[in-house]
Amino acid sequence: MNASLDNLLHLLWTFAQLSVLGFGGGKGIIPQMHADAVTRYHWVTSQQFTQFYTIGKLVPGPTTIFAALIGYAATPGRPLLGAAVATLAMFVPSSAIMVGFDAFWVRFGASPWRAIISQGLAPAIVGLVWSSVWTIARGIPVSVVAYAVAAVVTVLMLRSKLSAPLLIVLSGVVGVVALR
Amino acid sequence: MSHDTRPSLPSIALAFAKISSTSFGGGQKASIRQQVIARGWMDRNGFMDALEIALVLPGPNILNLALYCGQKVRGVPGAIAAFLGASVPPFVIVLIAGALYFKYATNPFVQGGLRGCAAGAIGLTIGNALELTWDERTEWARIVLLAATALTVSFLHMPLLLVLVLFGGIGVAHEYVRTRKGKQ
Repeated sequence: MNASLDNLLHLLWTFAQLSVLGFGGGKGIIPQMHADAVTRYHWVTSQQFTQFYTIGKLVPGPTTIFAALIGYAATPGRPLLGAAVATLAMFVPSSAIMVGFDAFWVRFGASPWRAIISQGLAPAIVGLVWSSVWTIARGIPVSVVAYAVAAVVTVLMLRSKLSAPLLIVLSGVVGVVALR
Repeated sequence: MSHDTRPSLPSIALAFAKISSTSFGGGQKASIRQQVIARGWMDRNGFMDALEIALVLPGPNILNLALYCGQKVRGVPGAIAAFLGASVPPFVIVLIAGALYFKYATNPFVQGGLRGCAAGAIGLTIGNALELTWDERTEWARIVLLAATALTVSFLHMPLLLVLVLFGGIGVAHEYVRTRKGKQ
């Protein structure tokens, strides 16, 4: 009981921090989430982390909803409770900031600080996205087929109108045939 | 008071539930824009303001947009309705996907499919990173900062808070100086 309560509190605290630090739509939090969920607490393996991230991209809504799956895996006795705690911790703190900021924003809106902060944070966020690529890539097999799929999807994402979920599903079909 | 023309809380929750259960990735912003303008909850300028704040503050863009719109039309209760609409359907869907995952993940065909899907997701993330990097090409300093962040996080595992304070701080300071120079 105490062990599982500890676990829930770790989930709550970990995802609440990620929530508050999730600037740029949460794109930059993946490396830290991996460090916490895989390296520090061993809630999931590197491969599971990558597959959960993939499911997050595959389902509608925010990608970071895959926090629910990490919570699910982290609490084997009560997976639904773990999933709910991780999800609430992931979404409630940033939402509270968003709602609480409303009054302040009207005043802040006219000031040049709005553009300075969003423009100023952008390079760090984009650097974190590149680091996310590195993080996620650690969870796929070292295989020519997997790298080729990633490369083709990169090109198709930039140069075709195919939707993200469709590209993931097509990649899955290649995987069923060639990555078993 | 009998002529309360504001949208009801369930209608706010349902509008965002519909969007959050049917739209993916970049399509979500377009769906919200279309819905809130069509319903007369916001005009174009209002939506641009919403988008700007939703992009700057922490949290998923779609959720922040929903919160802003809900709050605009019905205050904090409207924001709560929008939160539930935007987060409950994806939560239920991802749990169903997760339950299937834990049931079938050991099957070699499913495992192969998941590896393929993961490779595809990496491709999407690389594409996203390339697009975002292209937007930063205006200045060498931004590219250097970007690369320094990527390398420090990937290979030295710098914690996120420190990254935001250090590299985010340098970026904001640089942008502040640039803006001031531009004015003079």
